[in-house]
Amino acid sequence: MHRPLSGRRPRHGARRVRDLDVLVVGAGPAGSVAAWEAKHASPELDVLLIERDRAVGAPVRCAEGVGDAGLREFADPGGAPWVARKITQVIFIAPDDTEVRVAQRDVGWILDRTRFDAYLAALAVAEGVDLQVGVEATGMQRGPGGRWHVRLRGAGAEETVGARVVIGADGVEAMVGRWAGLDTRVPARDMESCAQYLVQGIDVDPDAIYIQWGDRVAPGGYAWVFPKGVGVANVGLGLVALKSDGRNARQYLNEWIARRYPRAARTGYTVGGVIVHTTIRKTYADGVLLAGDAAHMINPLSGGGIVNAMKAGRLAGCTAAAAIRERDTSERRLASYHSTWMKLLGDDHLKYYRIKQALEALSDDFFNGLARTVNKIPQEKRTLGRIFAHALVKHPQLIPVAARFFL
Amino acid sequence: MPRTRATAVAVVDLTNCDRCGLCLPLCPPEAIHLDLSDLVIEVETCTGCRKCIAPCPVGALAMVPAA
Repeated sequence: MHRPLSGRRPRHGARRVRDLDVLVVGAGPAGSVAAWEAKHASPELDVLLIERDRAVGAPVRCAEGVGDAGLREFADPGGAPWVARKITQVIFIAPDDTEVRVAQRDVGWILDRTRFDAYLAALAVAEGVDLQVGVEATGMQRGPGGRWHVRLRGAGAEETVGARVVIGADGVEAMVGRWAGLDTRVPARDMESCAQYLVQGIDVDPDAIYIQWGDRVAPGGYAWVFPKGVGVANVGLGLVALKSDGRNARQYLNEWIARRYPRAARTGYTVGGVIVHTTIRKTYADGVLLAGDAAHMINPLSGGGIVNAMKAGRLAGCTAAAAIRERDTSERRLASYHSTWMKLLGDDHLKYYRIKQALEALSDDFFNGLARTVNKIPQEKRTLGRIFAHALVKHPQLIPVAARFFL
Repeated sequence: MPRTRATAVAVVDLTNCDRCGLCLPLCPPEAIHLDLSDLVIEVETCTGCRKCIAPCPVGALAMVPAA
């Protein structure tokens, strides 16, 4: 799918500008869905989707877990080649290693992001979107007629394109937002530093995800095992560095794996940041929309962001197409993107963030006690709702946490 | 705009940096960016606040005395 940029470095200082309707920066789930959606809503639009990396979906910087219902809004996982494993069980592990198995149900899926992201990008291309990989945006400024002029670089060539709407789906780096004057910075307490190994030969239930927290394991975050097959799993953790003992995420992870899965072979690793913040105050500007991680649209409690990114991408693509149709891509017109997102999920994230803060005040000893209490509920009845209700009765310290959910 | 120079600034060890981009939004003056996928820290913009140092998942960032 890779084609070199059409424009070479301009000679004689002349600047050739190719005019587009929509430029989407970043071909992750947010960007590919946004591009598809814009083109689908208005097939006459010229939509360019660019990806800095040489392959869509790689490198993977993700634990690859996704909930069943959210995923099905966008794609059918049944028999799909981009699914690694179906998950039917969640096992929480308290800081003292007490395991709590939650009742079985259709929990979700572990994806193969290299294939899933490529699948979404290919859908966009089939819809008529122009995809260019190995191309990065290096800056942008307002041009005449209210278009953004965006400098692109890749494959030894540079060009400037004009776009009525730029959708920034460029992940935690969020450079589009920065160039548009939006504040995409993150306080250190809301940044989880993550490290993950792909391991082979791990003896875990291949239908279950494992989540462990604790100050010793992953201060301010949690560690996970997400199986990708029998004996194969993403094993990682995220922590808040402000709460760490001076070691970095990879050092914490090395210790955790050595303790719990000493015989597992680590055949690959990845690192990255998960922003456990709430949606940025303003996700739009004149001719600009930000979607996914770039706008901090991650669930701050779980750290999950794939489905959120796709939902935001869908909204951004629709909003961009409608605004262009109405010949008004001003900030005032695009503001509806932000308010719709907040009603859809952004306001929930504010609640989850408050719960996260309340949970942070509880000690490892509390969670160890909670795990033992909860294990007295028969496993087939041990749903998340029952766990929560039971916990509230037995552990009144949780009442303020519950109160924050409803306030 | 001229400003007081920091006494120490952040530097990156590119042999260890994974180019994950985590440090970019942590930088208050936005002194960090990726250029052709390599991390660049603008020493003249870095205020020496250290906010990027500990969160690096692989410990690729460090402080050095400003030149």
